[in-house]
Amino acid sequence: MGYINDALRIVYGDCTLGVHGRDFDYLFSYQHGGLESLVIDEREWLYRVPKPAFWRATTDNDRGNGFPLRSGMWMGADMFISCTGIEIIVDGTKIEMPTAPLNNRYSEGETAKKIQIIFTYQTITVPSARVNVSYEVTPDGSIKTDVHYFGNDKLPELPLFGLRFVMPTAALGYRYEGLSGETYPDRMCGAGDGTYEIEGLPVTKYLVPQDCNVHMETNWLEVYRNKTHNNSRKDNNKFGIKFLSLGKKFAFSCIPYTALELESATHQEELPAARRTVVTILGAVRGVGGINSWGADVEPAYHINAGEDISYSFLISRILTDTDS
Amino acid sequence: MQADINYIDNPEIFRVNQLPAHSDHAFYGSMEEMREGKNSLLQSLNGTWSFHYSANAKERPADFYKADHYTSDFEEMQVPCHIEMAGYDKIHYINTMYPWEGHLFRRPAYSLNDSGKMEGSFSQADYNPVGSYLKKFDLEDGLIGKRICICFEGAEQAMYVWLNGEFVGYAEDSFTPSEFDLTPYIKEKGNVLAVEVHKRSTAAFLEDQDFFRFFGIFRNVTLYAKPDIHVEDMWARPELKDDYRTGCLSLDIRFSSLVKPGDVVITLKDDKGSICLEKRLPITEEIHFRSKNLDNIILWEHQKPYLYLLTIEVFDEHGRLIEVVPYKTGFRKIEIKDKVILLNGKRLILNGVNRHEWSAERGRCITLKEMNEDMKIFRKNHINAVRTCHYPDQIPWYSLCDENGIYMMAETNLESHGSWQKMGAVEPSWNIPGSIKEWKAAVIDRARTNFETFKNHVSILFWSLGNESYAGDNIEAMNRFFKAADESRLVHYEGVYHNRAYEAVISDVESRMYATPGEIIEYFENQPLKPFLLCEYMHDMGNSLGGMKSYARLLDKYEGYHGGFIWDYIDQAIYVTDEVTGEKVLRYGGDFDDKPSDYEFSGNGIVFADRTEKPAMQEVKYYYGLYQ
Repeated sequence: MGYINDALRIVYGDCTLGVHGRDFDYLFSYQHGGLESLVIDEREWLYRVPKPAFWRATTDNDRGNGFPLRSGMWMGADMFISCTGIEIIVDGTKIEMPTAPLNNRYSEGETAKKIQIIFTYQTITVPSARVNVSYEVTPDGSIKTDVHYFGNDKLPELPLFGLRFVMPTAALGYRYEGLSGETYPDRMCGAGDGTYEIEGLPVTKYLVPQDCNVHMETNWLEVYRNKTHNNSRKDNNKFGIKFLSLGKKFAFSCIPYTALELESATHQEELPAARRTVVTILGAVRGVGGINSWGADVEPAYHINAGEDISYSFLISRILTDTDS
Repeated sequence: MQADINYIDNPEIFRVNQLPAHSDHAFYGSMEEMREGKNSLLQSLNGTWSFHYSANAKERPADFYKADHYTSDFEEMQVPCHIEMAGYDKIHYINTMYPWEGHLFRRPAYSLNDSGKMEGSFSQADYNPVGSYLKKFDLEDGLIGKRICICFEGAEQAMYVWLNGEFVGYAEDSFTPSEFDLTPYIKEKGNVLAVEVHKRSTAAFLEDQDFFRFFGIFRNVTLYAKPDIHVEDMWARPELKDDYRTGCLSLDIRFSSLVKPGDVVITLKDDKGSICLEKRLPITEEIHFRSKNLDNIILWEHQKPYLYLLTIEVFDEHGRLIEVVPYKTGFRKIEIKDKVILLNGKRLILNGVNRHEWSAERGRCITLKEMNEDMKIFRKNHINAVRTCHYPDQIPWYSLCDENGIYMMAETNLESHGSWQKMGAVEPSWNIPGSIKEWKAAVIDRARTNFETFKNHVSILFWSLGNESYAGDNIEAMNRFFKAADESRLVHYEGVYHNRAYEAVISDVESRMYATPGEIIEYFENQPLKPFLLCEYMHDMGNSLGGMKSYARLLDKYEGYHGGFIWDYIDQAIYVTDEVTGEKVLRYGGDFDDKPSDYEFSGNGIVFADRTEKPAMQEVKYYYGLYQ
C-alpha cells in the first residue's frame, strides 16, 4: 500500500486504534490501556503495554531508613494500575471515542497527518493519583511521548517516576549519550559526559539485588536487539529503537528485570533468566543516600515529593541500521 | 610448666611465655641473601597439618600433644585457613551482637558486681569448638644449631602451643604475631608441634568486630633462627626540623648476643643508593643513636612516597658480618597546630577507606596478591588513607602503604560493641573493658603489641585504640600508653563520643562515625576543641553511596575538618556452590543457617567481594581526586 503525501494510515478498529506508515505499525489498545504493539520494519518492540513506573527495587539505604514502610503503597501502584480514560486527537481535533458502533462511519482509507492518543491512568494508592501518557505519532513514524504525573500531597514520597517499556527479547546492548556509569541524583559528579555503548544488559551485582544501572541526564538512548518472537523471522539482524529526550534530559535504566523481580530476590542467583528487556524512561529519581544504612535518609534535595507534578517528554523513533535500505 | 585450660576463662591471662612484641623488621644472615631476597634463617610451616575438631573443650583430645598416636583419627587441615572454611563448625556473620547471642547466657568476668571470675565460662561451655593441630617437621639446614623461635602471625582466638610434648606457651590477640622461643625443646629431626586453638575465650569479649566470626590458624606460621647476634627490636625515627628540609635519624636497637659482639654499622641511603649517613658503633645490649643533621631531606607523602633505605649490619668481634637488617623508612611530620592536623606542615586531607582483610575464597586468609590488587585500586581511585578496621593487618600491608604513600590509621585489635550497645541503644550496664581493673592489662597488651610491631612504618600517622568499645579508664590507659611510647604520632579513638567524661583524656582528634554534614557544621560552629575526622562515613551498603558532595564541601569550609574513611572497602561475602544450579555464587550473613545474623550488612564495600569496583567508585575517585 502506498503512502501518499506522507500521511498516516489510521485503522479505527473495534478494540484498537491502528496507526500505520511506510515501515511501521502501531496498535493502541483500548482493552489494555496503552500502546500494545510497536512494530518497526516488521519487528515488535513491546511485550505488554508500557505502564507508569512508581517503584524501584529498594536499596539497602531505602530499607535501612524505613522508606518502603512509608512509601510501600507505590509498589502496589507499580504492579497494578488501571487505565481510566482514552482520548484521541486527530490532526489537532479531539474525536469522539471511535468504538463500535461509532467507528462504523470510518473506512479503509482513513489517514491523518498527526494523531495523538492520551491514556489516563489512576493509581491504586489511597488517595489515588493520576498519570497521563500521551503518544503523538507523525508520518515519519516517530512517537512524541509526554508523561505527566499529577501530584497529590496526601501521598508518600516516590522512589521514582517513569514509563516502563518491556521488550519481548533480551537486548544485545544499548548506547546512550549522557553520563558514564551508574548514576543517581546524589551520585553523578564523578561521571563523565559522553556517548557510551553497553554490551548486553548488565545488572550490577549487589549482594542483595536492588535498583541499579540508572543513568541520569541522558540525551538519548538506543536499544539494540537481534531476536524477535515472530516465528517467520529467520534472520538475526540487529535492529534498534531510539528514545530522544525533548526539553529536559531524562534518566533511564535498561536491564532484564522489572523492579518487582529485583525486589523479590535476596541473591543474584535467584533472579530469573534474563529473557526480556526492561527500559524505564525516568522523569524523576530518588537519590541513594549513604550517610548510613540504618536510618539516615537521602539528603532532602534528592527526595521526590509526591505532591508535585512531574512532567517530561521524549521521542521514540526508529534507527537506520546497515541492514536497512 | 603445664598448660591450664582455665586460661581461656581468665581475662588476666592472655599471654604465657610469649616473647615480647618487637618490630617487624626482616633480617638476613648475609648480604647475598638480602640481595637475592631469600632467607635461609626462615622456615615456613604453612601447608598441610593434622587436625582434630571438637565441639568443646570437654571433648577435645586433651593430651594430643604428648605423642603422635592421635594422628590416626586426625584429618588434614591446611594452614593458614579458617577452620569453618575447611568445613567444620559453622560459618557465621554477625555485627554487634556477641556470637553466642540467644544460645548461651554470658557476662564477662568481673563485669557486674556479683559476676566474679566466671570460671568455666568458656572452658566448660557445651559449645566452644576446639581445633587440635599437629605438625611434624625437621629443621632445615639454615636453622640447625641456632636459637629457634616460632611466629604465629594470626590465630583466632586463643592458642596453646606445645613442642615435643613440652608446653611452650599460650596466646590471645588474634591479629598480631604470637611468638615463642622453641630453643629448649627443638630437635634437628622429628619435631612434633601441637597447637590447640579455642574458638572463644575471654578475648571474645574484646574481639566483637563486625565480620564473619572464624577461628583457627589463619595467617602464616614461620620458624625463624636468630643469628648469634640478633637485632631483637629496632625503632628508627626519622625526625624533621621545623623547616621540613632538615632531618635527623634517631635509632634505638636492642640486641641479643650469644657471642662476643663487635660493631654495628648503620647506613641510610636515598632511593638512588647514595649514602646520606653512615655510622659505626660498638654493640651494647641497647643502642640509642641520634644522627647529625641531614640536609635536603625529601619528604614522604601520598603524592611522592619517598623512602630511604636504612641498613643495620651486625658484626662480631672478629669483624664477621653476622646479621643484616634492611628497613625502608621516610621523613614526615604529623602534628596538630591550632586544631588543624598538619602533615609536613600542610593540612592533612584523608581520602580514606576502612579495609577489612577479605577474600571471597578464603575469608580473612588473604595473600600478597590481594594486597597488591587492593593497592592498585587505591592508587587508581585516589584513595590516600586506610584504617585497618578493626585489628592489625598482615605485616606486608604496612610496607605496601609505606611504599605507596597511603596514610594509615593503625587500629588496635579491640571491639566490644555488644557490651555497651544493644539494639542500637547505648546501654553500658555491663561493658568491657570499661574501668574494670582485671581487664586493663589485656587491652594495654593489645596496644603495646600493635605499637611494638608496626612502630617503624612511616605510613602510620595515627594509632587507633580500637573500635566501638565505649570509653572508660582502661581505654584511657591505652591512650596514655601510646602517648608515652610514641610522641611522634596522633592517637585516635571514636568511642569517647558516647562517653564525653573521657573527652579530654582520650584521642587527639574528634572522631565520629556517620555524622551528617549538618552535625559536622554544628561541631565546628560551637567552639571545637579538636580537629575533626570521620573514622567511618559514606556507608556503602549495596547501592548506597550518594551525597559525597555535602562532605566534600566541608573541606572547603572548615580547616579543621580532615575528611574520613569510607565504610568500607570490600564486601564481605563468600563463594559457595549453589545447591540448585551448581554455579559459584556469593553468599552473605544468614546464608549458612547462621542465626542470629545481620545478613547483608556484611556487604558495604566500594568493591564487590570479587574486587571488581562498584559503580559508585567513579564518584569516590572524583571527589578523592579533587581534594589531595
